Amino acid sequence: MSSEVTLEELAALMKKAAGVTVDPHDLEARVDTPFAEFGLDSLGLLGIVGELENRHARALPTDAEKCKTPRDFLDLVNSTLTAGA
Amino acid sequence: MSAQPNRRTAITGMGVVAPNGLQTETYWKSVEEGLSVLDRITREGCGHLPLRVAGEVRGFDPAALIEETFLVQTDRFSHFAMAAAGAALKDAGLSDAAADSPYSVGVVTAAGSGGGEFGQRELQKLWGQGSRFVGPYQSIAWFYAASTGQISIRSGFKGPCGVVASDEAGGLDAVAHAARTVGRGTDVVVAGAAEAPLAPYSMVCQLGYPELSTVEDPARAYRPFTSAACGFVPAEGGAVLIVEDLDRARRRGADVRATVAGHAATFTGASRWDRSREGLARAIRGALDEAGCAPEEIDVVFADAMGVPEADRAEALALADALGPHGIRVPVTAPKTGIGRSYCGAPLLDVAAAVMAMEQGLIPPTPNVFDICHDIDLVTTAARPAELSTALVLSRGLMGSNAALVLRRDPGPAAR
Repeated sequence: MSSEVTLEELAALMKKAAGVTVDPHDLEARVDTPFAEFGLDSLGLLGIVGELENRHARALPTDAEKCKTPRDFLDLVNSTLTAGA
Repeated sequence: MSAQPNRRTAITGMGVVAPNGLQTETYWKSVEEGLSVLDRITREGCGHLPLRVAGEVRGFDPAALIEETFLVQTDRFSHFAMAAAGAALKDAGLSDAAADSPYSVGVVTAAGSGGGEFGQRELQKLWGQGSRFVGPYQSIAWFYAASTGQISIRSGFKGPCGVVASDEAGGLDAVAHAARTVGRGTDVVVAGAAEAPLAPYSMVCQLGYPELSTVEDPARAYRPFTSAACGFVPAEGGAVLIVEDLDRARRRGADVRATVAGHAATFTGASRWDRSREGLARAIRGALDEAGCAPEEIDVVFADAMGVPEADRAEALALADALGPHGIRVPVTAPKTGIGRSYCGAPLLDVAAAVMAMEQGLIPPTPNVFDICHDIDLVTTAARPAELSTALVLSRGLMGSNAALVLRRDPGPAAR
């Protein structure tokens, strides 16, 4: 499994891992807004990283959990996943 | 309280989540009527355990009270604490306290076991699927300090925070800690304790306590001060108080429900109930001294009521030791026999009951308890009307802590 992580998947993960409800379209419109403004804290993002690592059966860079915005996060995660495909 | 003796502390709000009531008012109604809600444990995964009877909090819907972002990262014990804190702040008219001055409000809670249910779920992932499947919130959810942290974050409070981990009697120590924090200059402290010790893992942890009652009949499982005493029954829930500078409370026109007058705590060793006689007596004397209260002024005692014959004897004798002849005359009650002991939450529920007993002029009864075999005036069967100005709340823990707290009715121009 090496397909790219979509905004829809990220929105679902934010809900599952941290209880943050966000509409995927809203996430797309605010893709450069800091995670904190969505109510997602650092442990919540860490949980999302762990979930993606389990789903894709591979490690993500340690910088992934430090990403501040959805765009930064998806860029980093997807470049890692596609590079190893 | 010693730092600024001029700064007296009031209780201006209370929130309760208990087996016999999910709101303060329903809790009091049940307590006043002597309702017993002890019942067979229904929690999934517990049916095979020898502990059969407890006080479960039923019908509690955390999603209706607490935001999902807080729910996913917290255990049931913090859900209770956040719900009770929210109710207490509302009762005190301080729901928006952080908006005015966040640094003027602190939080202190006591905890006896932390987040057992959350911890069990994550540990099952650890051993079932592997370490990569343990969620990051395990790092904070199980922790004794979780409720203090989450209450302060949720409400935006930035004043002094603390956690008291001093056994069951730590519930009273938390109230005293809050009063001292107010004495040092913080206007308001949200103080309390709530526990959720009925998940399978948590229950197994308790099975080693020799004081635990394994009697299967809910009406007979927890009967302190009788010859049928056979241990105690655990429970979920607790209460949160708003502890506030009395002058400030009066200035803002708050309803002063009681004042925190005195407290003392001692330690006499785990399960050394014979020694708890002296420990409890010293705690009572210390609390009376701090309150400037003569033994005869105590109008009602909310007993620890462990339900172990040796411990019950020690408590009855401690009352006589500390209060003299008044010790065998003063009305004593233990409403917790109808709901069980929620560890650190238990003495907080007693404080809430004591405050409402003083407000209503009514000493609630001790459910399921008849035929007292100790020399105390235990109120049983039905509530007893009485003019109550001063209440003494006692608590002991299985690990050897003893504490006493003196509460008074508001001596000022009462708003009630």
